[in-house]
Amino acid sequence: MTTTALPQTHRRRSGASTTGSGRLRPFIYLLLTAIIAASAFPLYWTFVVASSDNSAIGEATPPLVPGGNLFDNISRVFDSSEFGLALTNSAIVATTVAVGNVLFASMAGFAFARLKFRGRNALLVTVIGTMMVPTQLGIIPLYLLTTDLGWTGHLQALIVPALVSAFGVFWMRQAVEEAVPKELVEAAFVDGCSLVRVYWHVALPAIRPAAAVLGLFMFMGAWNDFFWPLVVLNPENPTVQVALSVLASGYYTDYALMLTGALLGVLPVLGVFLLLARQIVGGIMAGAVKG
Amino acid sequence: MRGRFDRHLTPYLFVAPFFAVFAVFGAYPLLMTLWMSLHDWHLINGAGDWTGLANYTELFSDPDFWNALGNTLSLFVISTVPQLILALFLAALLNTKLRGRTFWRAGVLIPNVVSVVAVALVFAQVFGRDFGIVNWLLGLAGVDPIDWPADVWSSHLAIALIVTWRWTGYNALIYLAAMQAVPNDLYESARLDGASNWRAFWTVTVPMIRPTILFTTVVSTIGGLQLFAEPLLFESKGASTGTGGSDRQYQTITMYLYEKGFTLFDAGYAATIAWVLFLVVALIALVNFALVRRAVASR
Amino acid sequence: MSSVFARKGARLAAGLVVAALAVTGCGSTDDGADGEKITLTVATFSDFGYEPLIKEFQATHPNITVKTRVTEFDQHHKQLATRLGAGAGTADLEAVEEGYMPQFRQSKDKFYNLADYGAKDLASQWLPWKWQQSLADNGNFVMGLGTDMGGLALCYRSDLFKAAGLPTSRDEVSALWTSWDDYFGVGTRFAASGTKAKWFDGVGNIYTAMLNQIPFGYFDTTDAYVGDTNANVKSAFDKVAAAAANPGMSAKLDPFSQQWNVGFKQGTFATLPCPSWMLGLIKDGSGPENAGKWDIAKIPGGGGNWGGSFLTVPKQGKHPKEAYELAKFLTSPESEAKIFQNVGSLPSQPETLKNPAVLGFKNEYFTNAPVGEIYAKSGESLQPNYRGTRDADVRPVFGRALARVEQGKQSAADAWAQAVSEAAKALGK
Repeated sequence: MTTTALPQTHRRRSGASTTGSGRLRPFIYLLLTAIIAASAFPLYWTFVVASSDNSAIGEATPPLVPGGNLFDNISRVFDSSEFGLALTNSAIVATTVAVGNVLFASMAGFAFARLKFRGRNALLVTVIGTMMVPTQLGIIPLYLLTTDLGWTGHLQALIVPALVSAFGVFWMRQAVEEAVPKELVEAAFVDGCSLVRVYWHVALPAIRPAAAVLGLFMFMGAWNDFFWPLVVLNPENPTVQVALSVLASGYYTDYALMLTGALLGVLPVLGVFLLLARQIVGGIMAGAVKG
Repeated sequence: MRGRFDRHLTPYLFVAPFFAVFAVFGAYPLLMTLWMSLHDWHLINGAGDWTGLANYTELFSDPDFWNALGNTLSLFVISTVPQLILALFLAALLNTKLRGRTFWRAGVLIPNVVSVVAVALVFAQVFGRDFGIVNWLLGLAGVDPIDWPADVWSSHLAIALIVTWRWTGYNALIYLAAMQAVPNDLYESARLDGASNWRAFWTVTVPMIRPTILFTTVVSTIGGLQLFAEPLLFESKGASTGTGGSDRQYQTITMYLYEKGFTLFDAGYAATIAWVLFLVVALIALVNFALVRRAVASR
Repeated sequence: MSSVFARKGARLAAGLVVAALAVTGCGSTDDGADGEKITLTVATFSDFGYEPLIKEFQATHPNITVKTRVTEFDQHHKQLATRLGAGAGTADLEAVEEGYMPQFRQSKDKFYNLADYGAKDLASQWLPWKWQQSLADNGNFVMGLGTDMGGLALCYRSDLFKAAGLPTSRDEVSALWTSWDDYFGVGTRFAASGTKAKWFDGVGNIYTAMLNQIPFGYFDTTDAYVGDTNANVKSAFDKVAAAAANPGMSAKLDPFSQQWNVGFKQGTFATLPCPSWMLGLIKDGSGPENAGKWDIAKIPGGGGNWGGSFLTVPKQGKHPKEAYELAKFLTSPESEAKIFQNVGSLPSQPETLKNPAVLGFKNEYFTNAPVGEIYAKSGESLQPNYRGTRDADVRPVFGRALARVEQGKQSAADAWAQAVSEAAKALGK
């Protein structure tokens, strides 16, 4: 209850001023516009093909003008695969995985960065070590395991193994090191706060930008993962990537259909981007003690 | 009482979820892979004879493995280094006071979510031999058309470009998140000392986010050495076997693993590749960590 | 023994930890006892045209519900391999493509022997070579029932032929060649005419077509490796390599690549071997502006086949008898005729190939070529082509060798020598 003892100095958020002077401004916008244009071109191009018929892919240079078949193609996507279900499933999986990772990784990261306990360093090295395991071949044993559990074909086969990641723990530990001053944590302890409270009220708000980035990455990763979902799920209960594989089936690929699916599949992620990118702002605790 | 329990046991509870899930879904497959690598193991038919370390001795005298290792290291160096440096500057740009901040930040991540099919098609057109944009531009300068996937240097260059395109924004956001935690007063005092923006970037930003730079170095090393999706894009759809070109000129280790395990169904050998890759990654990540720590510290 | 124990042990331990994590238990799906309602799943990698047929089947088998799963070609087969390896998750009927059959033949114990259910009585239903391809274990084991096939023909651009002073009608063009030597000879004339277009798309398709016309390729019919000594293989290799080295002949495009698609639309090559299923690809790549420019002639070197699939019954399925009934129904001559009319898959059965609906079928995009007749003839005249059990280990090796010659990286002799040694290594010799 008595967190009031914490120094609550609200500093101006950083990120305001590294290269802010007037003459440079137009140049920065120009540069960023160029970068975004290069980044987004394949996405725009996805839209162009999605709105054309299949023969657009034979053009020597990427076609630049959208055609008029978008709505036809969209309805074909929904006719030829369980796309609505796929979107729902992907949303469930990606959201759960993102939330799970942010929660578990920030807990572990906080512990590794600011708490003292026996075996801490050994455990941390283990975490980093697990990142180095190539995932491709683990697929078969993992499949055996999910089969034994009866999860094959169900979403938990995608969710549970992905709920934690070494990347997340390592990343959150880093964030806590940088954004949560030791003195702040000590002050909270002296004040009689429980660890859980310190974590929730002190650490978590301070690492919000890092947590948002992690959530973003994890959402993205879960949404885009295709090798494992293809192995463990079936087309009757698909994620977006599995549904895309259904759309790509055949001796030859119907690119218009396939890229319409790809376009529909990427829009929700862009929405999540905009939502979470807003959260990447300086933590209010930053510098509260150091300053 | 409660305090003691709290301070001694709670840390373990905090790290428990990670280790619990990892023990089941990470460690078991890892050990199973080790077990497989000690056998003659067919993907479908399962365990054959126990072969001890035979797979490992075969791998170390396998020229295709050394070729794949060389390609992986080459691709890693020419894609990871520029990508991290560019990401650092991009993050600095994104960290300025911008109108429509959210838009720019979300925008740099787009390459990471665009469907791989679309990326493959667009880059096939960019690097096309007969009608590609790059060759057209080179043609203006009098250079003969290049068959990009055909040679070692050209395929590596093209793949590195795709990797850099896909991952720079991702790393930039990692740096941006770290820059957001740099206290503003540090910049103010730097400015009072008469430091330019450029100087402030080097004297304040970089040292302050040093741990994050180390972090991305380690993570990119791990990711770069497991490079798979981007070089695979270079194979035509009819032949995505993981071979990496007519003379394996751009086959990475994970592609070799994929070729052995999922194209030729030799799971035992693929498991061996996986374990050796694991050790290689660990070694290089360690070396890199040491190198970059010194480099950043000397600033 | 010990390996099985260790595996079970490790999985058991892992299972206990999961139980400790208290995750919701989700049982596997139900399966009915005899006489009760059962569900059969059919997994394919493209539209096999089964939907209307399944409705028919369900009407006569009220106890059986049939579901379908469709996945992308490559992923379908890799998924099947993984699930066979893991011992769970396969469908009751799994389609396997011709090229993958040898690899799965190595794992025939994971499939039901359809001979036990009377498949041998159906043998005469298929073209002899198609039936041969479905067998393992010296003909004692029937892996699957044949579906479609991919008879070979040669597609050509009549406008480019005209520009080069070659005949354009399909009969005249077919008369230009009997052997591949004739074909490459015409190609030299074509290249010499000063046209900008090349004679064929790339070495990949030509070489595949040639290999599919010989009785056996890298392995003889006793499954012994003969890739380095088989004169037929060497001759095909040398002919293609010689053509690839001639600058006017090959457009140097990888089959199925994006550049290949562009090549169609830009008209960068004049001919390519085309199995029946490739017509859709050519049409899409070339686009509406090239309609009527493509035509179809006889393939040099005699009839041949490329592609086509089989319906197999993995042992994980609990209803092999019903699954076999369904496979039998889906591959019956009546069904194959209906499938041809619905989705255009070329039947692999002599009776169906004589069906007027098949014979009379024309393709408007390809200058109204009588594709039914062309492909039926090609399919009937071809001889069986044996693919060794380990074909997949060596076939790509020789394909890459030709690609190196085409890319100008190696001489034909060097490429061949490297391929021979790589193949030996791949086979562990």
